[in-house]
Amino acid sequence: MMETLHRYGPDLLTGFGFTLLSWALGTVLGLALGFVIEIARRFGPRALGYPIRAYVEFIRGTPFLVQLFVLYYGGPLIGLRLDALPAGILGLTIYGSAYFTEILRAGFDAVPLGQIEAARAIGFRNTTIVMRIMVPVMMVSALPALVNFAIILTKETVILSMITVPEIMFQTQTMMSETFAFVTPILILALFFWGFIETISRFGRRLERRFTHYLIDRT
Amino acid sequence: MTNQQTAPASAHLRNVCKFYGPFQALKDVSLDIPPGKVTCLIGPSGSGKSTLLRCINVLEMYDSGEVRIDDQLIGYDSPGGKPMAPRRLREMRREIGMVFQQFNLWPHMTALQNVTEGLERVRGLSRAEAQSRAREALAKVGLADKESNHPSHLSGGQLQRVAIARAIAMEPRIMLFDEPTSALDPELVGEVLGVMKQLAAEGMTMVVVTHEMGFAAHVADRVVFMERGEIVATGSPREVFDAPSDPRLASFLQGYRERNSLDF
Ligand SMILES: Nc1ncnc2c1ncn2[C@@H]1O[C@H](COP(=O)(O)OP(=O)(O)OP(=O)(O)O)[C@@H](O)[C@H]1O
Ligand SMILES: [Mg+2]
Repeated sequence: MMETLHRYGPDLLTGFGFTLLSWALGTVLGLALGFVIEIARRFGPRALGYPIRAYVEFIRGTPFLVQLFVLYYGGPLIGLRLDALPAGILGLTIYGSAYFTEILRAGFDAVPLGQIEAARAIGFRNTTIVMRIMVPVMMVSALPALVNFAIILTKETVILSMITVPEIMFQTQTMMSETFAFVTPILILALFFWGFIETISRFGRRLERRFTHYLIDRT
Repeated sequence: MTNQQTAPASAHLRNVCKFYGPFQALKDVSLDIPPGKVTCLIGPSGSGKSTLLRCINVLEMYDSGEVRIDDQLIGYDSPGGKPMAPRRLREMRREIGMVFQQFNLWPHMTALQNVTEGLERVRGLSRAEAQSRAREALAKVGLADKESNHPSHLSGGQLQRVAIARAIAMEPRIMLFDEPTSALDPELVGEVLGVMKQLAAEGMTMVVVTHEMGFAAHVADRVVFMERGEIVATGSPREVFDAPSDPRLASFLQGYRERNSLDF
């Protein structure tokens, strides 16, 4: 077993790296795109409402694997020729954006209208209202759901192995097919995800405390 | 010039109509709000008092007619024209303070931050300047010692006084109050009305929607009675309360007196 670890260790580390990279970029970019979509829906022309809903429903209504294949194998048909890694990250971004935008929508909806009107009455511009009032107030209710979806995304990253992104699943499969050992690779994979997700949860709880500190009785 | 900008403003409504879908909430309302005076709006629930108030700073966009602050049209570019550019509307709103029934403080900010936010982001003051002005405003409403409390750690009366401080720190030339004491426990009403009386004594133009007939009777210069989207009667507190000429006003006051078994 030590021998296999020795042999596959570097590949596994590389795999960890690619998994972390795809997850981090997919999450950050997905959240950013989801935010932009939600702002467009809220403040943009009414005509955007329908296409945005169609986009969200399409993404949420199809498996990530299918979306990824469409992007990676279908993309070249419309001139979008991407390497596996960028395709994977773009896929995660698009997939994440649809869910993130819905979480943000519910969060923004829960911001009491009066708090927004108070800002409007004082003469705040919309961007200030969003960034200074709506986002911080919304975070109290939306953050657990955002963190939760970020955790779900960690597990979707394994699907990138299907388009040959050399992430952890891809490395594990290579290891399994070459050594015919199953228990060790699967155990390593499980341990990795467990540690990974535990770290995200902890970080999420810290963030939650930051956004809700004012609700907690400090006396 | 400076004097002009800080002098109390007047407001003028001309034939203002406001619809919510097919329902007409304001029917051809005309009203002059004199500068430096307290105008109280009274009337039964649903009569359009809040709607009228909110048309003055265009939190509700009126459908036709004219609303002016001094002689400046607000809401539209020109009478019957296009809605005013957002930037221009924001500029005009800086002159108009508003206090809400539900306080509407921002929960993630301390009392001090609630007041400095507008000074920094709208007035463009430096943090230090904003804080010193905010502290003055909080002292004025008697809350100098509560500046670092978040709203969750303030009583209703204190919340409303922070909200008043937030509005007056912007140095508005007219202040709108929408039932500022209706959400308060009875024993907390006095502290808020006290701050409002002080503002009135300083010569602020105030438009106050209220169910506090005592406040209207003692502090208002003019009382305006609304019913079903129309102004039915206006006059001095004496004229309105002691000798109501309109039968609807008389029956409204009668009902109020019966509910509260009070005399004023
Ligand atoms: N956003 C809205 N959509 C539809 N109808 C509305 C809306 N806001 C107010 N109305 C209606 O317009 C009428 C006037 O409402 P408004 O809030 O101005 O009354 P009010 O005199 O302030 O009453 P209250 O004393 O209960 O606050 C009411 O019949 C109300 O139902
Ligand atoms: Mg009202």
